[in-house]
Amino acid sequence: MTSLEFRLPDVGEGIADAEIIAWQVAVGDHVTEHQDLVEIQTDKATVVIPCPATGVIASLSGEVGDTIDVGSVLAVIEVAEAEAASGEAAAAERVPAPATERAPAAATAARLPRGQLPLAAPTTRRLARELGVKLDAVEGSGPHGRILREDVEREANGEAPAAAAATAPAPAPTPAPPGDVVPLRGVRRTIAHTLTRAWLEVPRIVDYREVDATALLRARASLRQRALDRGEQALAKALTPTPFVVRAAVLAAREHPYVNASIDLEREEIALHRHYNVGIATAGPDGLTVPVVHDADQRSLAEIALQIVELATAARDRRLRPDQLAGPTLTVNNFGALGTWMGTPIVRPPEVANIGVGAIRDQVVAVDGAPVVRPTMVLSTAGDHRVLDGDTLAAFVTTLARLLEDPVLLFEDLR
Amino acid sequence: MVVGELAESADLLIIGGGPGGYAAAIRAAQLGREVTLIERGGAAGLGGVCLHVGCIPSKALIEVAGAAHRTGELSRAGLQASGVAVSLPRFQAWRAELCARLARGVGELLARGGVRVVHGEARFNRPDRVAVRTPDDRALFFEFEHAIIATGSRPIELDGLPFDGARVLDSTAALALEETPASVAVVGAGYIGLELGTALAKLGARATVVEALDRVLPSVDASLTAPVLRRLRALGVDLRLRSTAERIDGDRLVVAAPGGEERVEAEKVVVAVGRRPNTDELGLDAAGIRTAASARGADGADGRAPACATGLIPVGDDMRATERIAAIGDVVAGPALAHKATAEAAVAAEALSGMPAAFDAQAVPEVIFTDPEIGTVGLTEAQARAAGMDPVVATFPLAASGRAGTLDERDGFTRVVADRATDRVVGVHIVGPHASELIAGGALAIELMAAPGDVAATIHPHPTLSEGLREAAALALGHPIHVSG
Repeated sequence: MTSLEFRLPDVGEGIADAEIIAWQVAVGDHVTEHQDLVEIQTDKATVVIPCPATGVIASLSGEVGDTIDVGSVLAVIEVAEAEAASGEAAAAERVPAPATERAPAAATAARLPRGQLPLAAPTTRRLARELGVKLDAVEGSGPHGRILREDVEREANGEAPAAAAATAPAPAPTPAPPGDVVPLRGVRRTIAHTLTRAWLEVPRIVDYREVDATALLRARASLRQRALDRGEQALAKALTPTPFVVRAAVLAAREHPYVNASIDLEREEIALHRHYNVGIATAGPDGLTVPVVHDADQRSLAEIALQIVELATAARDRRLRPDQLAGPTLTVNNFGALGTWMGTPIVRPPEVANIGVGAIRDQVVAVDGAPVVRPTMVLSTAGDHRVLDGDTLAAFVTTLARLLEDPVLLFEDLR
Repeated sequence: MVVGELAESADLLIIGGGPGGYAAAIRAAQLGREVTLIERGGAAGLGGVCLHVGCIPSKALIEVAGAAHRTGELSRAGLQASGVAVSLPRFQAWRAELCARLARGVGELLARGGVRVVHGEARFNRPDRVAVRTPDDRALFFEFEHAIIATGSRPIELDGLPFDGARVLDSTAALALEETPASVAVVGAGYIGLELGTALAKLGARATVVEALDRVLPSVDASLTAPVLRRLRALGVDLRLRSTAERIDGDRLVVAAPGGEERVEAEKVVVAVGRRPNTDELGLDAAGIRTAASARGADGADGRAPACATGLIPVGDDMRATERIAAIGDVVAGPALAHKATAEAAVAAEALSGMPAAFDAQAVPEVIFTDPEIGTVGLTEAQARAAGMDPVVATFPLAASGRAGTLDERDGFTRVVADRATDRVVGVHIVGPHASELIAGGALAIELMAAPGDVAATIHPHPTLSEGLREAAALALGHPIHVSG
């Protein structure tokens, strides 16, 4: 029987390790290629890693909550095709068929398979049976993931695991306030850590700019109609303001390269990127994730629009692949879709800019000295002041606003 | 047998009164079941093979033979004894009284639980019914709500060497010897063969052990057997590996060895080549149970030799073979050990009484009363690696133990295998005096998920052999006291 060692793939630049959030398989399971193997948490988002092959899971490395390094063994899979060739080994695993009224599942060997030792003491295992709790579904809060009686009780009551609470010392003198305590886990924990770092590290400036969206809406309506005429409903639906802003941001960043850049204070360098990978801030079920439209400058508006939909769907279904999260150079955050008019985006280092897109709404504005109602959109563009000064950021936003107010310019470069 | 018989009803029927059956009966009685226990040896047979012709008498013989032998060995420590001898007839009388007393004790426990003991041999004739043939050839019928099969196992006979009770002995007959033979050939170097061979050698017999495989004690890791092999050599036991016993020829046993036919001196021949489950005469077909044609149970899967090749009853984690019938002990997969049967007994009794019981022991300890003893529980280093672990292995030698020195023993060790990822002890392997007693500490560490640090931080009393486990755990952490890490 051939053993396939599956190592944690390099899930993207700068990511050296990942936390195991949930195994989707157990030792002994028959798995098929592409079946979900494990949910992991990088410092960017939660992603599901698929099985690389069809076979039987021989071992899984690490408990839920463990951090594993890129390149270390994640799982060992006995590859199915070798099964027929190794009669002896296969016979050892085969369980005699019961000629009884019992369900076949019950007719297993009377002892746990070696190497599949649950991290639970006998009385805890018994409690789990009594409460109908499957031990492999329980997150152990004891040392190295040991499952305690409380963990089993908590699981039985459908409560959240307390592992994080156990490791994070509570401020002792203050009595706990009444109310629920939600442990910081998974995506939420990552958001908390990365944004704390971002907030403390980046001296931020924000440029608020009002954009007349009349032409943009007209352009969008025309393109939507064209899509519908061609029967491309999906594209029609995908043509929100976001893809327009993404394309405009890329074109503007080409003229203002310090916006599509990153800063490395250790080496005292600013890297000006040749790639335009635009992160799309996306509300997922576990919190904010930022999947990336890679090489956005190489894509048409329609391609960008469709990809944003695809990424948002994957994020919602927790199916984002690591490569879909890797390497953003610039971020667009369309909080306007939530009705927000203006915002204060946070720049995520090493990126240096984050473009917030407000809701388009009718405003009374002065045109040639007279009040006129115009659809208006506010851009809230945050920049890292270490790289961008007020004038360089404003220059970028001016270009961006111009492209959006006269969207025909978005097609000047037809690539 | 009577046709058209009237059946009595039985709430829980247990077939077999050995360490599995009587333990199941007592547990079931505690749970309020009305228990009927069928034992072919009657009240006197309670306790089964273990009590009457297995564990208990063999340990009694090993104890006496060992004590006699040790008086000679301790002469260099100043013990002066002469004329030390073992009277086997007196031993047998003492042993018979011991076994009878223990069996009476089991009977009293069962009586206290209101268990009805029926003398006879049971056979299923329906999925919910057995016929019991009593010693006076009457037939009793029981219609049961639930049943537990705990009929145990019996020695396997070799074709060329049928048991005759006089010259060719099974373990039962060997334990009943009234006289030490001048020479004995033991066929089979499993734990039964080696225990008997060692005891008989210590009693003065010239012992030869014939084994078909190329090693002794195939059920344990080879690294544990080296001190035993050295000891066998010191006792003058002639070990013939890769050799097969063929037939008796005059006063010799004919053995097919790699170099050709050999003749081994053998006033008595003891055949201990394994045990076969007692499932062939139970009428299992009528019960709706089919035994495994070639069972490879948990034992086969972890690289150990299966206790027997055929006749095992497939069961689930709750020991049930059917909705109504559970099976435990030597008739199901796993090592044929009394303590495994006893553990399974509680599971079966509880499961059949509606409790969510399951046999989920993480490790079944195995003890071998060779000289020195072997106690092993959990994973060996190789098994841990095969299970995908990154094991830490630490071995504390007996020679570094002060208490072992006072026993004039130095050949052996205590080994701890721990999983680095989960920081837990997953195996303990002890070779040395009283390893059979000491191994329970290892089993406790494994079941309670102790980290090596937990074991090392637990104070073990000095001067005892039990310190070996603490020292091995400390060695695993890199800071032992009595050896250099």
